[in-house]
Amino acid sequence: MTSDFSRRHFLLTSAAAGLAPFALGLPAARAAAGGTVTLRLGDDLSNLDPAYRVGTIEGNILRAVCQQLAKFKPGSLDWEPDAAKSIKQNSDTEIEFELNPGQMFHGGYGEMTAEDVKFSFERFTKPDKTGAMVPYADDFAALDHVEVTGTYTGKLILKNPAPAIWTIGICDASGTILSKKAFEALGDKVATQAIGTGPYLFKEWKAREHVILAANPDYKGADTAPFAEMTLKPIVENRTALLALMAGEVALTEADVTAEDELAKAKANGIESLKIDGIDYTWIGINVEKGPLADLKVRQAIRLGIDVQSILDGAYGGKVGRANALLAPALLGYWAEAPVYNRDPAAAKALLAEAGQTGIALTFTCLNDAISQATAQIVQANLAEIGITVTINAIDPGAYWAMGSGDASKDLDLTLIPYTSKFDPGFQTQWFVSAQVGVWNWQRWKNAEFDSLHKEAGSTLDKAVRQEKYVRMQQLLDESASCVWITHGAHLFGYAKTLKPVMLPDGTDWQLRDFAPA
Amino acid sequence: MSDAVGIIWRRVLTGALTVVGAITLLFLLIQFVPGDLASILYGPRVTDALRASLAERMGTDQPLPVQLYLFLSHAVRGDFGTNVISGRPILDEILGVLPNTLALALSALGLSLLIGIPLGALAAVRPGSLADRILGALSVVLITTPSFVVAILLLLVFSLALDWLPVAGAGTPGDPVDQLAHLILPTTALAVGWIGYLARLVRASLLEVLAEPHVRTLRAYGVPEWRVILIYALRPALIPVIAILGMALGDLIGGALFAELIFGRPGLGTLAYNAVVSRNFAVVQATTTVIVLVYVTANIAVDILSGAIDPRFRRTAGEEAR
Repeated sequence: MTSDFSRRHFLLTSAAAGLAPFALGLPAARAAAGGTVTLRLGDDLSNLDPAYRVGTIEGNILRAVCQQLAKFKPGSLDWEPDAAKSIKQNSDTEIEFELNPGQMFHGGYGEMTAEDVKFSFERFTKPDKTGAMVPYADDFAALDHVEVTGTYTGKLILKNPAPAIWTIGICDASGTILSKKAFEALGDKVATQAIGTGPYLFKEWKAREHVILAANPDYKGADTAPFAEMTLKPIVENRTALLALMAGEVALTEADVTAEDELAKAKANGIESLKIDGIDYTWIGINVEKGPLADLKVRQAIRLGIDVQSILDGAYGGKVGRANALLAPALLGYWAEAPVYNRDPAAAKALLAEAGQTGIALTFTCLNDAISQATAQIVQANLAEIGITVTINAIDPGAYWAMGSGDASKDLDLTLIPYTSKFDPGFQTQWFVSAQVGVWNWQRWKNAEFDSLHKEAGSTLDKAVRQEKYVRMQQLLDESASCVWITHGAHLFGYAKTLKPVMLPDGTDWQLRDFAPA
Repeated sequence: MSDAVGIIWRRVLTGALTVVGAITLLFLLIQFVPGDLASILYGPRVTDALRASLAERMGTDQPLPVQLYLFLSHAVRGDFGTNVISGRPILDEILGVLPNTLALALSALGLSLLIGIPLGALAAVRPGSLADRILGALSVVLITTPSFVVAILLLLVFSLALDWLPVAGAGTPGDPVDQLAHLILPTTALAVGWIGYLARLVRASLLEVLAEPHVRTLRAYGVPEWRVILIYALRPALIPVIAILGMALGDLIGGALFAELIFGRPGLGTLAYNAVVSRNFAVVQATTTVIVLVYVTANIAVDILSGAIDPRFRRTAGEEAR
């Protein structure tokens, strides 16, 4: 009796649940510009504490919710005062600021004062409660302390001249000003709750479903929030996100660069596209300490044996530009005259013969994503033609990035390495210094001149001098033949024509507070 | 009655041992996984001090038996610790997404039964007919077509071309109609393989029952054919289907991962997947424990249900218990 009843009940319920949606005629959701807008995030948030943020997603949100002393102008690397009424560099080691009065923190945490600036910045200079420095400590490595001279005034006292502190520290997410009072009251909850004074309030974060930012009615700045509400929806898969854009569920998404033609075709349906050349850098690192690779001629032969253009065409669909040196064209220190090494198997073989090397067998280590594996296969085929046997070792990110500890890099031969950049060239060159051997310098190339140039270029404010030094550093890297540069990448966005997105010139830093209806 | 209670206790005990065994095995396997959370999260920014700090907060700096003891002793109280990245209790993170995954897996199971059983029955009542051959071919197509291909086709047709159903997400919390709309496509994509499999299973089982003497007797007595099939043949023919329901649910929970990724749905699968990729072992342990618990519980329930329906099962289990 009981089992009869259960089965019938179950069947009826299943039938009802299965058929009901078909009878409802459900409309698809639409992203509405003007009052509200829905944007796609590539992943969910992880940690909203600026010192422990995991990626650019948190940084993008923090810059919309919080203020900095100065911020980048829309789409530009030039900066302008934000929370500061005025900010100026008095000397190589002193930056003076005065805050605008009346900037109130969300949630009733009071007015922003110079004490909040001191608290927010000095967190990066001291060990945290576990005794470790915060992950983003390097962003304020040059900061000695913040001197509070009044309720709204203070000075950043630096240990040494540090031009990078503007672009990496003050204007980036590490420079967002927190409420000391809120931080002390919330404790570990600052990881999930952003309290700021910016144009948007952090209204809601439903893990893996959405983040909602709402216009801050108390915002005192000139650039008030253009949208009443901004919903950020995490969608991990790029293809799904593109379909969501086409279906009108989101008004903006980043897409694979190979989707450029597809997006162009969607223009008739009100979809626009935006492509920004990247400043990141992907290269093939050659371990200069390992077996035959210790011979410069072998490294030069490998450089001439690899067809970079084929990699760009085959692995990236021909949609990204070629890198010829470490620093991208948009950055200070760009080496415009860097040599372009086109494939020359005959010359490569001649170099191997000169080196007296035959039967070389190498391992090519890379991440296990599609682009990296396609690159590895092209390199394998290229080098086979000059007599070098390559075995591909494609591994997942966990195992790959673990090679940055315990001197694991000593066993690498050739490695495809994708790094992200910051706007100061010193952030990029730091990974190639001698002290990074055994850590993140997987080429294990050491050069005393490079090391001292890195130090000098990072502590002078003269742009012309810095430009010269960074170019020289790239020349030294080029002479070492320890790197085969592939690309600086590119970022492609599809967006509804009703939206005007604003990005910094790297394509990864979104200026959400400047997004507006078109 | 005492036999039945004994059987249930025996199943529950076996289930508990399975859960503990699975957790222990996972603990051991994790020791061989290269990589650490800090390196993946912060890349070149990571320092040894930061690595040590995160390891300490996750408890991974402790000896393995201590880690295992701490995990089990906390887990039985429903405490899976705190996610060191977000600072949230791991249990809250799991409970936040578990309903989405269960809704997806259960609706896919329901849809599979709803379509698979009639298809199988239809094929079995006319064996060798054109309908049987078509349904046989259709079943094979459904079983062999990769679910992600089905998922993409469904998105292209029902979301883009027809604009009937949404592409991504799980729907607005508190809006059941929207949530249902977001469930239709992933449910269909996930259920497709099982529809084909159940249709094959029901066809074979029903054919077997229809050839049994009691069916011949019923027909000889002039019982209408629809009654013979629906009342006297289909019921025993469904016993094998019930027996695999637990396994089906486990498979669908595991398979939910692809649906969650393709349809951008928050769920247990994506939570576990991201935790594995980022080597967030505390979250991996917790999500795996919950998945194993759901799987084991479903199998115990199916065993009990099978015992209630099929006297042969009850008898065999009773003999095993003695």
